[in-house]
Amino acid sequence: MKRWTTILGRGGTTLIAISLALLLVSLIPTIQMFSTEGSGSLSPGGIRILFSQQNLNPQQEVQIAVTVEGKLTVYLLELNIELEFNPETGFVQRFNSTDLQQILQENRDLIIWEHEVENGDYKRSYTPTRILNATLIVYNPSDSENAYLDHSVSLQSSLAPGDKVRTIAYWAAPIGVILAIPWLVNIWKERKQS
Amino acid sequence: MTNMGKGKPFLEVLASAIHEDFRFPFLELFAFFYALGTFVFASFTVGLSSQITTNEAIAYSVTNSLISGSLIVFILLILKNVAYGLGNDLEKGIIQTYFSYPLRRRGILTAKLLSAIGVSLLLFLGIQISALYILAPDIVFPHLGTVILTYAASLSYPLLISAIMLLLTLKLRRGGIGLVVGIVLYVAMNIASGIAFFVAVSTKSPLAFQILSVISPTYALQYHYGGLSGISDIFSVPWIPTLSETLLYTGASYGIVASLFILAYVYFSRRLNL
Repeated sequence: MKRWTTILGRGGTTLIAISLALLLVSLIPTIQMFSTEGSGSLSPGGIRILFSQQNLNPQQEVQIAVTVEGKLTVYLLELNIELEFNPETGFVQRFNSTDLQQILQENRDLIIWEHEVENGDYKRSYTPTRILNATLIVYNPSDSENAYLDHSVSLQSSLAPGDKVRTIAYWAAPIGVILAIPWLVNIWKERKQS
Repeated sequence: MTNMGKGKPFLEVLASAIHEDFRFPFLELFAFFYALGTFVFASFTVGLSSQITTNEAIAYSVTNSLISGSLIVFILLILKNVAYGLGNDLEKGIIQTYFSYPLRRRGILTAKLLSAIGVSLLLFLGIQISALYILAPDIVFPHLGTVILTYAASLSYPLLISAIMLLLTLKLRRGGIGLVVGIVLYVAMNIASGIAFFVAVSTKSPLAFQILSVISPTYALQYHYGGLSGISDIFSVPWIPTLSETLLYTGASYGIVASLFILAYVYFSRRLNL
């Protein structure tokens, strides 16, 4: 019985130590790699590319905040938008609403997430679980009405996904304390006796 | 004596060894540094060099970046446990006390090594694999074979150091020299890889790295996945070992490690007079 108390107790203190390390990791501030803000109106059926990143990795997080007047759909697609050189206008992104419609109808597995926003605010962050190309697009699904968009997108880099690591630390630490208490009580009793 | 009767003394020795090797708060301190080192050194950007393109190579690169940060902590722990821990037990006569237990000598050494290396390995792998799961489950789990091979290749040299340290500690019956040799061997491999790199580049022959890979197959694995990233073509080593060659180097290195441990067992069982 005493041996099991010791084994569980030391397991508990080890769990507490790991939780502290994870908590420390989650507290290390993130680095802002990129940020963009803007506003404007979108005509019916129009799209706007807010952000496109090659090789987005699990140590990076895309944060998006939009305010919409009208109705818009926000898509995060697993896609790399290619640039095309035009001698008159310079580099232009080779992606239009027809390409988006094709993805929506034939390649829905490229949609990481989508959200419809109507006259309101929307905030979301995304951390991938593998290395992928990501593109953030807003689309006006209306046939007749313009929509107004105010957006802010940023790319943060961190050691580990903060929320995930913090959640594990918050769960592991109390479990560690529960496991360690009987062993610590035993030690305290032994010291008191001696 | 029944099997249960034999098992109890083994557990007694194992419990006593774990108690000695991982006195409070050693286990907790090492767990803290393993976890911290794993996340601090994890890097996905190293997997994005022009040479590393496949998902398998990215899985290797990510796993390798995680290992590199915590491997030194693992080596320090086994240096402490094998050289200092076992050396102390030999000097203080604790091993002689174990010899009076109804247990074969190889059982005593197994219990000591399970505590010194087994528990450390369990802690190291447990934290590392959990970290890989937290960071990139979709990179790691589809390429579990690559991840396991990366760990096997990376742990081969630390295990070789621990086998040499074990032999020296048993032969000299004290841990001090074994500890120094262990540290020297660890530093020597880094120096040797630096020399091998320049020899391989200047002679345009991978022979130096092929020799090193026999004791540390991590180099074979590194070149299998495209070699060092971010260096000019002038400094490239003309070596792309196949997967079966890499497995062969890993097998050979573990063969050497296993023979040294067998030698230590034979010495401990038959030659060690206390």
